[in-house]
Amino acid sequence: MSENIYGIMAEFDTPTQLVDAAVKVRDAGYTKTDGFSPFPLHDIDEALGIKRSVLPYLILTGGITGLLSALGLVYFVHVIDYPIIVGGRGHFSLPAFIPPMFELTILFAAFTAVFGMLFLNGLPSPYHPVFNIPRFALASREKFFLLIESRDPLYDYEKVRAFMESLSPQEVFDVPE
Amino acid sequence: MADAQDFKAPQSLGHWGTVSLGIGAIALVAWVIGTYFNVEQGLRSWILGFIFWGGIAIGSLGLLMLQYLTGGAWGVVLRRPLEAGTRTLPLVILLFLPIVYGVATHQVYEWTHLPATDPVMAQRGIFMTPWAWILRGFIFLGLFSLMAYLLNKWSADQDSASSFDDSSKLLEKMSKFSGPTLVIYCLVVTFASVDWVLSLDPHWFSTIWGLLYVVGWALSCLCFMVAILASLVDHEPMKKVLGKRHFHDLGKLILALVMVWAYFSFAQYLVVWSGNIPEETAYYIPRIKGGWGWIGASLIFLHFAFPFLVLLQQDFKRHAKWLAGIAIFVLVMRVFDYYWQVGPSARISSLGLESGAFYISWLDFAAPIAIGGLWLWWFFGQLAKRPLVPVNDPYLEEAIEFGHGH
Repeated sequence: MSENIYGIMAEFDTPTQLVDAAVKVRDAGYTKTDGFSPFPLHDIDEALGIKRSVLPYLILTGGITGLLSALGLVYFVHVIDYPIIVGGRGHFSLPAFIPPMFELTILFAAFTAVFGMLFLNGLPSPYHPVFNIPRFALASREKFFLLIESRDPLYDYEKVRAFMESLSPQEVFDVPE
Repeated sequence: MADAQDFKAPQSLGHWGTVSLGIGAIALVAWVIGTYFNVEQGLRSWILGFIFWGGIAIGSLGLLMLQYLTGGAWGVVLRRPLEAGTRTLPLVILLFLPIVYGVATHQVYEWTHLPATDPVMAQRGIFMTPWAWILRGFIFLGLFSLMAYLLNKWSADQDSASSFDDSSKLLEKMSKFSGPTLVIYCLVVTFASVDWVLSLDPHWFSTIWGLLYVVGWALSCLCFMVAILASLVDHEPMKKVLGKRHFHDLGKLILALVMVWAYFSFAQYLVVWSGNIPEETAYYIPRIKGGWGWIGASLIFLHFAFPFLVLLQQDFKRHAKWLAGIAIFVLVMRVFDYYWQVGPSARISSLGLESGAFYISWLDFAAPIAIGGLWLWWFFGQLAKRPLVPVNDPYLEEAIEFGHGH
């Protein structure tokens, strides 16, 4: 039975209970964990020991790439490929280039933000074992869930199950693969 | 309902006020003596100080209304300093009087000397006469004062409200007032900034000028207020109120306003650069050459690029002291920006200088310091008068809790 288990999940009634339980889970040394809540809980990241996302750095890289691509594009067009004089100005007229540079910075950064977020979240994900628990649908309504995955290095079915029960949850579920 | 005594302003505010008053009084004496010998330069320097410090007072009004519209914890903790800023408007009206004197006696603003046959002056007719200008100035300041009076009165009523319902109703009233009034505010700032600053170069025009001042004044006000909050954060009562996340949010707002300022400034430049017509470029040519050119370049790198890159980092926004450091730096750059606008503008008496030549007078330091000292003294006095947070605000508890999260 324990072979096919994705993880063990506990259900809580309030966000405070979830955060308190998450702190205990982190202190017990579990790392492959996750929390689920109907609304953003700022405290949960620290409670579960989740590190800051690398997304901001990806977005910065995306923005700089956009800036440089736009500069490269306008430079190639106006200086190398088709240099014509417009309005009596030099071929390389930076003020005129700034709007496309600005726009491409925003565009690339925004695309990186959206697709980077999806990628880092592992989305789109057509199947996820947590939905095998019918009550998990309540995670988007009024209940709070905490999960310890079976791939956690400290995972041991009996121990984790007993540990979860000790957190005084509403209910504890085995999540099948 | 929270107890107002718990949020009483610390005694040290009175001390800061006295120090400011002392410095301001000394600088004022120096300015009066200097102005006696060179009235035009004295008044030009006074305009510089007036649009900087008066801009913080007027910007407080804009941000105060903005936070009523958006809500949020940053607005609740910033409300009392902003209100104190708006209550300095009576002093701002007094500080306007030297400029009124200069305009009435035709001693400052080149247009007071232009002949009526000058095409621009002929078009503007009675609008561009000293008395119409002075009358408008008092109307603008009167409208700002009226808005400030009402918002402060309702806020004081909220402090003495006896029930949650009463205080919620007052908050709703202030929010409803702020919506349409903010639109009027932006229009009045547009007219005021055109009269007070843009008319220093009577032949030049810019349609984005008003927005530049709406943003510029909001930015200098926000930076000033962040510095004030950061200096209060170690003392009760603000020690128990302010948290990292408040500063994080305020830092994001500074970043946003720095970007909007850069966007508008560049938009104005780009239109003139693209058009390339002598009557428009006349404004920028002295400002991108020589000494003024260096100040202009420093605006790009130090008013935009540097604060932008620093404020992108989360850590800088979450440390009150670091954020205050950046805020004060931006505040100094705001002075540079105003100086870059006022300094090269047309003079009545040339002082033997070429038009638009780089010239710094010691009065350019004396006047802003004099006005700043007096203004800060008034501001600290007003800040100490009321509890440092809106004690009966329905969102106060939530706002305080928010700051201490992660």
